[in-house]
Order: sequence, then structure tokens, then C-alpha cells
Amino acid sequence: MSDQPLQGQVITSQLIASLAARTALETPGVLRLEPTIHGLLARLGPAALNNLRNPGSQNGTYRHDGVTATISDGTTHVHLDIATDITYAALNVAETVRERVRENIRHTALTPGPVDISILAIEHHHGTTHA
Amino acid sequence: MNDHSLEPDLDEGSVVARAQDGDLSAFEHLVNTYQGRLFRLAYRMLKDRGDAEDIVQETLTISWRRLPMLTDVNAFGGWIYRLATNKCLDLLRKRSSHAADITDPEDIHAASETESLRPPAGIDPAHEAEWSAEQEGLTAVLDTLPPMQRACWLLREMHDRSYTEIGATLKMSPTAVRGTLARARHHIAEGMSQWR
Amino acid sequence: MALEDIPLLGCGRHIDQLWATLHQPPTTHEQQCEQCKMARTSLQRLSEATRSLREQDLNDPALKPRPGITNAIMDVARAEIRRSKRIILGSTEEGTTEISEQALSALIRLAATAIPGVHSRRCHIEVRSSDPSPAGEDPRSRGTADAGPHLIINLRVAAAAGIDIPRTVQTLRQEISSAIPAGAGIRAEIINITVEDLYDV
Repeated sequence: MSDQPLQGQVITSQLIASLAARTALETPGVLRLEPTIHGLLARLGPAALNNLRNPGSQNGTYRHDGVTATISDGTTHVHLDIATDITYAALNVAETVRERVRENIRHTALTPGPVDISILAIEHHHGTTHA
Repeated sequence: MNDHSLEPDLDEGSVVARAQDGDLSAFEHLVNTYQGRLFRLAYRMLKDRGDAEDIVQETLTISWRRLPMLTDVNAFGGWIYRLATNKCLDLLRKRSSHAADITDPEDIHAASETESLRPPAGIDPAHEAEWSAEQEGLTAVLDTLPPMQRACWLLREMHDRSYTEIGATLKMSPTAVRGTLARARHHIAEGMSQWR
Repeated sequence: MALEDIPLLGCGRHIDQLWATLHQPPTTHEQQCEQCKMARTSLQRLSEATRSLREQDLNDPALKPRPGITNAIMDVARAEIRRSKRIILGSTEEGTTEISEQALSALIRLAATAIPGVHSRRCHIEVRSSDPSPAGEDPRSRGTADAGPHLIINLRVAAAAGIDIPRTVQTLRQEISSAIPAGAGIRAEIINITVEDLYDV
């Protein structure tokens, strides 16, 4: 509800979202985060205005293309929509992303909660030719 | 976006089936295949670019929504022509209820003299020179046919649709399609000789 | 009934009959009958004008809809995209992993493009977990040795006319059963392939 600094440190849901997004994109086998219509509507709807006025807060939800982060009582909940490279096994990629995201959240002093991952596309990396 | 391209030799039934599964590139392929055909049909039916474009856009948009209900993937062509033709006929009905109607088929020759005897507007001038008198006569008389006859003639002669399919579109038996087509040809042939 | 509707010439001939034999030499009657001669001439002109109008319309750049129309249609299609089914691959307190049926279908279709003579069509996928069966699960699926979830794939295809269907289907099945673990990391337990149509090559 509040942006008031507690113990001199504010970790916002936006920060967690961008941390999760960056971690995912740095994981081998992740091609991109996949914007969904749901995310698009959320961005265009009232939530988008909220996001503009208040870029995440200690208790609240932040959404961006392919990533949603919520902080509730010091515990994070992250959802990622990803597209993976066909030369990697998507399930393993998702598992690695989850471990890394949780690990990175641990460094923020928040408690890493669930990291849900939806694999929405499996494709050739741009530039590689189809079989 | 899923921009994987389709196999070059893909049969239409398979493209339709994939579009039914929500594959956007398959649907886009269908849009590209049919938009020109439907536009030519709608333009010759309605003689108005804007209206014809609206018909193309509405028909293909509706086809996306109703695609899962299509049971025979090989019937897509007939189905999409049927949607477009009926939209044209609806619009012509709407128009004629607004305007004074020229419904008597015997009025056609009189009408053909006052109505547009020129190639469609917006045509390239260099093209216009090539536009033969025969074609001019044909399109002029075509515009004066009753809508059902015109639809029947266009579907058969310009778009190669089968009698059965045209019958399903215009809600008449294949034999009745044959009759309507013969009357349309008769009217056009006569109109063309008088027009000259 | 419809035949009565077909315009008759004064000599009793149907326009339809003349039209059908337009490209054949005139019959003796047609050579002598003035009405038939006139009608044949005007129908021949119509036939020629029809052919050239068809040709011209087909190639006329002005008889195409404005270029933006594809985008306008595709924008609507994208906005109204049927929400693809999500298949849950695993769920622990550390999070849930799911995959869209569309992502798997695309993988399967891509695998199928490697096999000449088949075109993939509709694809439906279910998942079976190897955990003791959740509600509604077929009890026969219990006791599978492999850990993790596995898929049941129902793929419909069209086959090229004249190919060896059993052999092609077998090759396709092998291709899919190696493409799914490679790209998705899941085992394809059952791959049902239905040849629902033939296409000409």
C-alpha cells in the first residue's frame, strides 16, 4: 500500500519484475518474454495508469510485457511468459530460469515465493534457418 | 509473433485446419489468398471501392470467428464466397430500399444508357485505352442485371464456382442456377448488341 | 421448372443449348436458322468479352483492396486470438510450469515439415502425469516407469496421394517423438496420427 521506506530500503514490485525479466533473458535458451493480450489489456487499462503514477510498491502488483511481479508481506510471486529456443529443451530452460530468479530475489532480502513460468512459443533463434 | 512460414506446397485444407487451431500465419495465408478474389466479386456487385473493401474486411474477420465451426476444411472457398456474396446482396437490398428501385428487368436497356458506361473510376489512364468496347458494354449491362442474376453470373463466369455451390449460396437448386445463369447470359448478350 | 425459365428462341431452341455448343461448329439447323445465327453471334461476343474481362480484372492493379486491409483483418484476429489451452507440466511450491498447446503444436508441425508427403493439420494435446492418478485419470496410465509428465498427441494430417502411408506415418511418429523431448523436454508417450485427407501433388 505504501512507498514509505522501511528499514531504509524499498524493494518495489517493479524492481522484482525487472530483475526477473533480466534474469530470464540472460538464461540460455530464452528467446524473449512474450507479450500477451492479457498483459496488453492490463497495460492499457486502469492498472497502466497506476503503474505510471506508482511504479510498483511494497505491497502490490507490477505488470509488463511477459512479466508480473507481486510482493505480499515480504514474499514475492513472479509470473513469466517466455518463448524458448528450439535447440534447448523448454522444460529445462524454465527450470533454470526459476532457480536463477529465486536466487536473485534472495539477494534482495525478500523471500522468494513461487515463480510461475508459461512457455508460450518454441521457435528457431532468429537467423537460424528452418530444417 | 509466430512468423514461421508455411510449407510452400501446402494444400488449402491443411492451411484451413491450422487456422482453425488458431495458427495466425495460416489464417494470414487465407486472407492473402482470398482478399483479391472477394474484392473483385464485391466490386463488380456493388460498383463502389469503399463498400467492396468493407465487404472483404467484414467477411474475412467473420471467417476467423466462425472458422472453428467449419466442418469440412475443403469447403472453405465455397463458404467464404457464400459469406461475401450474401453480404453484397444484403447491402444491395439496403440500398434499394433507400433509393427508388429499378427492379423491372425490362428497364435494363433504358437504364444502361444513363448509368455508367465507362470503365470503373480510379482506373489507370493507360489502361483505359486498352479497355475494349466489348468489355465496356459487358460491364455496363452487367450493372443493370437484377442482383441475383449478377451474383450468379459473376460466381460462375468470373470465379468458376460450381452450380451446387452457387445454389447453396443463393438458396436455389443447381437447376435453378442453370436457368438464372442462362437468363443472365441472354440479358447481357442482348444488352451488349443494343448498347453498341 | 427451371428449364421453362431458360430463354427460348423463336425457333424453340434454348439459349442454354446454344451456349453449351458455342465452340463447336454450328449444326445444320443453326446454319440455316436466322435466330440461331444471330444468337450464336451475340453469345460468341459475350463469351469473348467474358474471357477478356476475367483476364483483365485478374491483372488490374486497381481491382485490389487497399494494402492496409490485411493488417486491419490480422489486428482483429490477433486481438481475438483463441486463448490456447495451457498444459501444466509441473507444480511445486517453487512455482508452476505450463506450456501452451499452441507452442507444442508448432513444434510438432515443424517436425512434420521434415517428412515429405504429409501436411500436418489440427493437433490436440493432453498431458498425463506419472503421479498416482489425479481425479478423472485413466487408471491404466499408472505405474509408468518414467518420471515427469508425458504427452498424448492427437495429430491429423493430409497425405500426398500415392505415398506409402504406413511407412510415412511411422517416420512422422519417430520424428515427433524425438522433436518433443528435444524442444520441450517432455516425453511424448502416445502419438496418434490420423490421415484424414489426401492431397494431389
